[in-house]
Amino acid sequence: MSGGESKLPAQGGGDENDAILSDSIQMHQKQSLLLRLFLWLVKKTGALGRLVRHQVWFFLVMLGACWGVLFESISQNAWRRTVRYEFGTTMNSVIGGGLIATLFAGTLTGVAAVSQTIYWLGVAGMAKMTGSILINVVVREIAPILVGILLLGRNGMLSVTELGLLTTGGQIRSFQAQGIDPFLLLVMPRTLAFTVAGFTLGIVFSIASLLTGYIISRVSGVVTSPVWSFFNDVISAMSTADYIMIPLKFVTVGFVVGVGSCITGLTATSQDNLRTLLPRGFSRGMLIVMAVSVLFSLDF
Amino acid sequence: MYTRATGPVLELNKAVPSFDESGLPPVPFSMKLMPGECAIIEVRDNSRATAFADMCSGLVPLVDGAVKFMGLDWADLRDREKNALRGRIGRMSHRSSWPDFLGTYMGIGLQQLHHTTRDMSEVVIEATQLSSWFGLPGLPVLRPDMLSETDLIRASCVRAFLGNPQILLLENLLEACPADLEEAFVGAVVAARNKEAGVIWLVRNNTVQRRYRQLATSMWRLVDDGLVAVRAG
Repeated sequence: MSGGESKLPAQGGGDENDAILSDSIQMHQKQSLLLRLFLWLVKKTGALGRLVRHQVWFFLVMLGACWGVLFESISQNAWRRTVRYEFGTTMNSVIGGGLIATLFAGTLTGVAAVSQTIYWLGVAGMAKMTGSILINVVVREIAPILVGILLLGRNGMLSVTELGLLTTGGQIRSFQAQGIDPFLLLVMPRTLAFTVAGFTLGIVFSIASLLTGYIISRVSGVVTSPVWSFFNDVISAMSTADYIMIPLKFVTVGFVVGVGSCITGLTATSQDNLRTLLPRGFSRGMLIVMAVSVLFSLDF
Repeated sequence: MYTRATGPVLELNKAVPSFDESGLPPVPFSMKLMPGECAIIEVRDNSRATAFADMCSGLVPLVDGAVKFMGLDWADLRDREKNALRGRIGRMSHRSSWPDFLGTYMGIGLQQLHHTTRDMSEVVIEATQLSSWFGLPGLPVLRPDMLSETDLIRASCVRAFLGNPQILLLENLLEACPADLEEAFVGAVVAARNKEAGVIWLVRNNTVQRRYRQLATSMWRLVDDGLVAVRAG
């Protein structure tokens, strides 16, 4: 114990004009203010960090899962008959179940967007640009987004629900106890089925919308050329990059919707139920579809 | 697949499970199960029984010690190897284990179809025979949620015994089940032991231990201090 400390008055008493005591109090107040400020900063940055980590967490899990699916899909051991069965079942469900809805959506797009585009370009005397605009707007931009939304709504949400309930119900743990890797049995085949379905339904949507647009325009007398001439104009407007980028966009949308839905379901916690899982799955899926669309539009 | 093992099929060597991951007491567990042996373990709490079976399956991280299955330490294996080994374990669990999107027949045969290259028809024939043995009219084709609770337990028995597993981790689901199912279950356990499978039968009270003490080669009780050997008789 130092001499200075022994001079301090006892608690609850003492001289308020004591210079040493006054300095000590000021120093303590200053330190306590700094400490409070520091603690406040720690608390706020901690909250910010938690928020960022929480948001980035799913993105990182998604990246890992995407890599996992690609990596496992080329492994020969991964394609066991149970995995092939799940792949086939999911593909039948996504493509078979979504075909009518996609045709219907494509037809409506043909009526609402394609025929209108053909009409107004004709009125403006820019009929030569019809093929180019249809490719850039309908096939490259609208089709992937609408197909992505259809995939998400019809089968993506189903996967979120199924896998979420399997996780919270303990069946996923039972799969592990049987030596069955849920990623291998459920995530990989479903994601790849979504990928194939994204391409298939995207092409179906594009053909349905262009064909419907042509028929409406032909019936209303805006277009007089035969159908193969119309499709020739559209195909002639495609660049070499389009032949790669359009299918790649369809495939990528299907892939990320599949991964996102499966991972949202598999990462459900015991506190989750359908009321929390479904909105989360839908909002994440929409963000994913829009993000892919924007990313492709930015660079290409 | 039927293989002849020489060493212990399961060995718990002072294995201390992680309490956070399992809820099991963090004390050393030690036991050894040779091929063809049957250990009846009394566990009052169903969740503890499931956690113990999980530990034997290498699903619970250990703080200390080792759990070896067929001479292989779970901790030394990679995920793919662990999964392959778990394919040789037949389990009946209190945990919900029937996925709704698969038919019951698929749920029964999933483990065999995933881990083996046996012909599908061979798996179906064996599953149908076991279904008849456990009192089902045939291999159930309905979804699991459309089966009665007793039929689902019968289906669980079929799944556990399908494919001659090396070890059977059987949580007692047979309470309040018909007598014919219990007899069929005991018969299946005896048949499995004759094929050199190790059996761990986790029961809730010592009534089963007393009734089937001839069946057991060792009897244990899982308490807060770990596994305590119980003297037969």
